[in-house]
Amino acid sequence: MKWAKAWRLSDIILIALIGIFFGAIFMGTNYVYDVLTAVLAPVGLSGLANELLLGLWCMPGMLAGYMLRLKGSATLGELLAATVEMFFGGQWGISTLISGVTQGFGAELGYIVTRYKHYDWLGLTASALTTTIVTFGWDLARNGYFKLQLWLLILYFVVRFCSMFLFGGVLTRLITDLLDRSHVLKSTHTN
Amino acid sequence: MATIALKNLSYTYPEAQAPTLNHVQLTFNPQQFTLLTGPSGTGKSTLLKLMTGLLSLPRTQGSISYDGQDLAEMALTDRAGQVALMFQNPNQQFAMDSVENELIFALENRLVQPDQIDAKITAALSFVGISELRKRELNHLSGGEKQKVALAVIVAMDSDVILLDEPFASVDPAARASLLKRLVQLRDEAGKTIILADHDLTDYATIVDQVVRITPARQLATVPTSDWSALFSAFAKTNQSDQRWPLPDETATPLFQLQQVALKQGSHQLLQPTNLTLLKQHNTLITGPNGSGKSTLFESLVRLISYTGKITYLTDDIQTLRRKRYARQVALLFQDAETQFLNITVAEELAQSQKYVYGDYFTQARIDAAMAQLNLTGHEDQVIYTLSEGQKKKLQILIMLIMQSPVLLMDEPLKGLDLSSVHALVALLQTTLASTKQSLIIISHQLTGLTPLIDYHLLFDQHQLQYREATT
Amino acid sequence: MNPSIKLLLLFIIALEISFTMIISLNITLVILAMIYLLAHRTKLRTIGWLLIVPLLPAIGLWSTQYINGSGNKTLMAWVLFTRIYAFVFTGATFTLTTNILQLADALEQNWHLPSKFAYGVLAAYNLVPKIQHEVQIIRTAGLMRGQQLSFWSPKLYFKAILVSINWSQNLAQAMTSHGFVEDAPRTHYRHSVLCWQDWAILIIGVGLLQVGIFLVPWV
Ligand SMILES: Nc1ncnc2c1ncn2[C@@H]1O[C@H](COP(=O)(O)OP(=O)(O)OP(=O)(O)O)[C@@H](O)[C@H]1O
Ligand SMILES: Nc1ncnc2c1ncn2[C@@H]1O[C@H](COP(=O)(O)OP(=O)(O)OP(=O)(O)O)[C@@H](O)[C@H]1O
Ligand SMILES: [Mg+2]
Ligand SMILES: [Mg+2]
Repeated sequence: MKWAKAWRLSDIILIALIGIFFGAIFMGTNYVYDVLTAVLAPVGLSGLANELLLGLWCMPGMLAGYMLRLKGSATLGELLAATVEMFFGGQWGISTLISGVTQGFGAELGYIVTRYKHYDWLGLTASALTTTIVTFGWDLARNGYFKLQLWLLILYFVVRFCSMFLFGGVLTRLITDLLDRSHVLKSTHTN
Repeated sequence: MATIALKNLSYTYPEAQAPTLNHVQLTFNPQQFTLLTGPSGTGKSTLLKLMTGLLSLPRTQGSISYDGQDLAEMALTDRAGQVALMFQNPNQQFAMDSVENELIFALENRLVQPDQIDAKITAALSFVGISELRKRELNHLSGGEKQKVALAVIVAMDSDVILLDEPFASVDPAARASLLKRLVQLRDEAGKTIILADHDLTDYATIVDQVVRITPARQLATVPTSDWSALFSAFAKTNQSDQRWPLPDETATPLFQLQQVALKQGSHQLLQPTNLTLLKQHNTLITGPNGSGKSTLFESLVRLISYTGKITYLTDDIQTLRRKRYARQVALLFQDAETQFLNITVAEELAQSQKYVYGDYFTQARIDAAMAQLNLTGHEDQVIYTLSEGQKKKLQILIMLIMQSPVLLMDEPLKGLDLSSVHALVALLQTTLASTKQSLIIISHQLTGLTPLIDYHLLFDQHQLQYREATT
Repeated sequence: MNPSIKLLLLFIIALEISFTMIISLNITLVILAMIYLLAHRTKLRTIGWLLIVPLLPAIGLWSTQYINGSGNKTLMAWVLFTRIYAFVFTGATFTLTTNILQLADALEQNWHLPSKFAYGVLAAYNLVPKIQHEVQIIRTAGLMRGQQLSFWSPKLYFKAILVSINWSQNLAQAMTSHGFVEDAPRTHYRHSVLCWQDWAILIIGVGLLQVGIFLVPWV
């Protein structure tokens, strides 16, 4: 458990709090999801609601990875957010946890392939891409995407990547820019 | 029982230029109750955190020792047995959900054997006199109750030295008196050494063994016993400003009307069903003990929290108004200044207020003048989060004033301000209100300097919210 | 039953049914979970709520396959429909009968998860009610300055992170002050047991699942 040594107690609490805060904010988006799903269901495109918003749900992981810059912070950030969501009775039951792991690991993978060195657009884009791929792989099974027609699969994939890039990439960057300018992270982190 | 020696101790925050503590020399004798005072921002919290090891002291910057043993060399696991700290803010002070679980957590940390834990918990709770709180959820306790639990945790951990950082800031007088009694008991019966930091010096005169002050040179000086009476009585006087205001005029235009409004926090009743009218273009002051529910009242006026009964703003039930429009009409100055800020630099905050301003009173020239008046000129490009607490508070008030919302609810606007800032601020408020005709409702513990602004006075106490009679 | 083993079993079930297409198996799991919940005195209202919550996503998945699927569209549509219910009901057997403290105890004591993770997360979890209120406060503070903070506003998240940083430092200091030392040994008042029965349930449970998936000729 060498990686665990790098984590301080305040980091762990911070990451969990961020996950919960974001979860509380996302609760407000549930109605967007519900409306979109209901509207799109008759034409069989309700998956688009999920694709459009997925970047938002994956944001805690990408942000945690980018902000704390510790090995495993993306995975842990997303997993903690998922655990709390499960206990508060999300719509997806036990599979929330599995999603948490895949989303978090997907985000982590982006930082892994950039060797935990690129805390810039390259790292974020890589992370958005790997998150898209990993979560999409999982949805092929869980949501039965492998049975869908090819055009729809491609559409979903592209929309998902856009969502990841917009929320997990652009929005994360805007948030961390604010954090950098505010000098508040300096007192918590020295890298 | 421990003698605490501070030798040549200096501390400078990494981000700060000047040292917060400068070559401090002092010895605290065992089994003594020491009162630590000094103006806001002089380093009391810093000193206490250094003494518990929460802030680590660089090796070259002097030493802190307990009975000759250097704190820096003490095993981390032994520190809690030696010294424990109780914080000012009763929230974010517990890791667990319930009182019992928090005590268990602390005792497990101290490596107490499981079969002894129950007895220790029972003893600690009954010592502080809160046995009935054992199974309660921490989230549901009042500030005073939380501080009692915090003390019980320290009692259970059986630390030799107890440090308290303004422990009574959110505690009412009754809870404060009872906590003080326990502390004296801990010193006299259990032989604990106690160091307590506080601004409010009421009730200490007969209790403490020693008074220590932080000097302008950032050192510690013991206040000689001969000076005590001056110190304590001066305080008692400022605390008794008992001005009276008239009862409101029945014919004036109502601003808010409360009909059978009752307030609750969790299962804790704060306000009994009350009928009340607040008047337009008049400034109303609300006072009352800590935890009586003043902030909760403000939160219900801006619809941040639910209440029973009906609140009318001008002519409408506030629940029927659109959130966005209503927020522009009735603005709240939060108790914690940082809550108000949305940007990074002072200039950005000012610009945002100017952009969404409600009236045209605040021209650029008037803003510049106000900045000068509040002694904030030159800080335009500074990052807000690096301002001192007092500066934050002044900026917070200014940006909310610029907005010129018809109603401004101010929760503790003078918190952490020195007297000259208070006068500047009140002057600014007076000139502004003369033109903008805003209505202010102000919660404040501190009345010095504020009184010229006030027209009516409401007292929130014992679940009642009433205009105070002109004579008592 | 040991919460960590229970969670592991449910995790395996969720994983496997994600890769299988047996409607009756999903329904069986829902029924078993419902029996378990009733045996643990879950209120009927709660169970009714569990039936409503996943309805919309379930219909969404169903219609997607039914309209835009390939192969046996009807089968896949119903597989996905029932699968969501299996996720939610099996999940509820955990969340409605176990609290997060028991899970943290098990992870710390039986699986040697460093205690800073167990207690760090618990400390944050206990602030959940405050956090929901705080989000409201941030939003209202924005409105009072003429700015609507929507879920795509960086400032909303920025403010949330500032509060998180502040609270995490306060909490960490308070825990240290209550004697908590990272990576140091602690005693345990609540004993989390992991006995052979737990392993037996896990093995039998996983075994039955395989029987259900590979041997039972579901119709
Ligand atoms: N993390 C920090 N970084 C830089 N400066 C700090 C930090 N914390 C505190 N300070 C500064 O150090 C000084 C002493 O702060 P401290 O909190 O110890 O004062 P205090 O005497 O406890 O004040 P109060 O009575 O208001 O609680 C202040 O000027 C403060 O602005
Ligand atoms: N979620 C909650 N559940 C139960 N009690 C709560 C909750 N939130 C606050 N309280 C309690 O409600 C009481 C009223 O709090 P409030 O902040 O309104 O007091 P106040 O009059 O503003 O005090 P102060 O002068 O210290 O600011 C306090 O005792 C507080 O501890
Ligand atoms: Mg202080
Ligand atoms: Mg208050």
